[in-house]
Amino acid sequence: MKAAVYWGCKIPTEQYAYEMSTRQVLPRFNIELVDLENVSCCGTPVRSVNTSAALYLSVRNLAIAGQTGLDNLLIPCNECHFMLSEARNRLDNDSEMQTKIQELLNEEGLEYPSNIKIWHTIDLLHDFVNIDTIRGKVRKPLEGLKFAVHPGCQIIRPSEIGRVDHPENPRKLDRLVEALGAQSIDYSEKLDCCGAALLYSHLDAALSLAGTKLRSVQTYGADGFVNTCPYCHTMYDARQKEAAATVGSKLTLSVVYYTQLLGHAIGIDHDKLGLHLNQSFDPERFTRRST
Amino acid sequence: MSLTDLMTMAKTDKELRKRIFTKLWRAHPDECFQCMRCTSGCTSLKLLELKPHEIVLLVNSGFIQELVSSDIIWTCASCLKCRERCPQNASPYNTILELRNLAVEREAKIPEAYMKAIAQILETGLTQPEQTATTRDMQPQNREKLGLPKLPYANDKFKTVFMKILGG
Ligand code: SF4
Ligand code: SF4
Repeated sequence: MKAAVYWGCKIPTEQYAYEMSTRQVLPRFNIELVDLENVSCCGTPVRSVNTSAALYLSVRNLAIAGQTGLDNLLIPCNECHFMLSEARNRLDNDSEMQTKIQELLNEEGLEYPSNIKIWHTIDLLHDFVNIDTIRGKVRKPLEGLKFAVHPGCQIIRPSEIGRVDHPENPRKLDRLVEALGAQSIDYSEKLDCCGAALLYSHLDAALSLAGTKLRSVQTYGADGFVNTCPYCHTMYDARQKEAAATVGSKLTLSVVYYTQLLGHAIGIDHDKLGLHLNQSFDPERFTRRST
Repeated sequence: MSLTDLMTMAKTDKELRKRIFTKLWRAHPDECFQCMRCTSGCTSLKLLELKPHEIVLLVNSGFIQELVSSDIIWTCASCLKCRERCPQNASPYNTILELRNLAVEREAKIPEAYMKAIAQILETGLTQPEQTATTRDMQPQNREKLGLPKLPYANDKFKTVFMKILGG
């Protein structure tokens, strides 16, 4: 498959590990990524200020992706994936809005509709590549390791616009982790939000949400925590120490992107996967039982 | 005739209520029957006392001005649980977004970070400039050192159009 890729803002300006590991892993499964020029923010922070301007930003990026003539578009960020999916749903069902936005797009010579299929890391790997193919490529099985998965909020809700997994009982990320030989634990806080959106206005509450979830996961004996969103990842990895201080616990969980875990299991060097950038990652613990 | 909140003497505002409703699309706060499913699962209930069913009730009753000048509309974590679970498609989430839009328009208290992100989008198209990352052993890293391609930048035409729509 040849797929356009829309990285958004957070990944390419800060969360380099997600970008590096995605670029490393996908070609191993015959997925070639095509970068987009002239793209902009998906509209997430703009939504609170002006919902029409946010919608315009989302559609504009879709139109640029459509210009490539490719059939598939990968959006690895949960927030961006939600914004662009929501924008498509709106424009395809609201012709008045479509006309309004198209007028703005005309000024840049861009055009909607774009029929490109939108993928996220989770469904691209689970539904397109598939579990058996992934299992077949594993060279360093993660046997004996236990992980808690965190799919995040925007990627599973709201189901009415089409999301990558069940809104209340998502299982795909669990199966992707199990395909690498590890165990994915069941835990009741799985759907709890990371709190990242509150960083803009309520830092302590945000950290408390992240810390409370990690504390539970640690109690259940998990070796690591797996996510697929740059916003969630920042809360659990880079801000883990702050989150621990906020909830008054010591937290020592290795937090990784799924693409990093997969890359490790299929034998890619840690530095190429950006694992040296994960602040919470403990290579010893991570590879203790898998060599 | 309009209602009056006897605690604060605030009046309801039909015009503002209408503004919120016309901007919403496939979200119907007026069909809310106060079942509180939204509030029972709300991410911000415990820590920040956000009660989405109350927000919806206040909007329906027309107490918009009170909401717009209150900090409570900025406590939503955007987890989308209320939108998913509401049996009436009221979408407290989208209702709160429109209240925030109104707050910005009326220059009520807005968290600075949002305005900063927008200023940055006007500059490069993205919400923040390239950040220096640090490895666990404290080595500074950037895209180039990590072997990643140059960042995409939105062209100048984009900025003009974006300005236009931001201005309404
Ligand atoms: S879940 Fe929907 S109908 Fe029930 S109280 Fe909340 S907004 Fe109203
Ligand atoms: S989207 Fe906002 S209001 Fe709705 S449940 Fe989540 S935090 Fe509460």
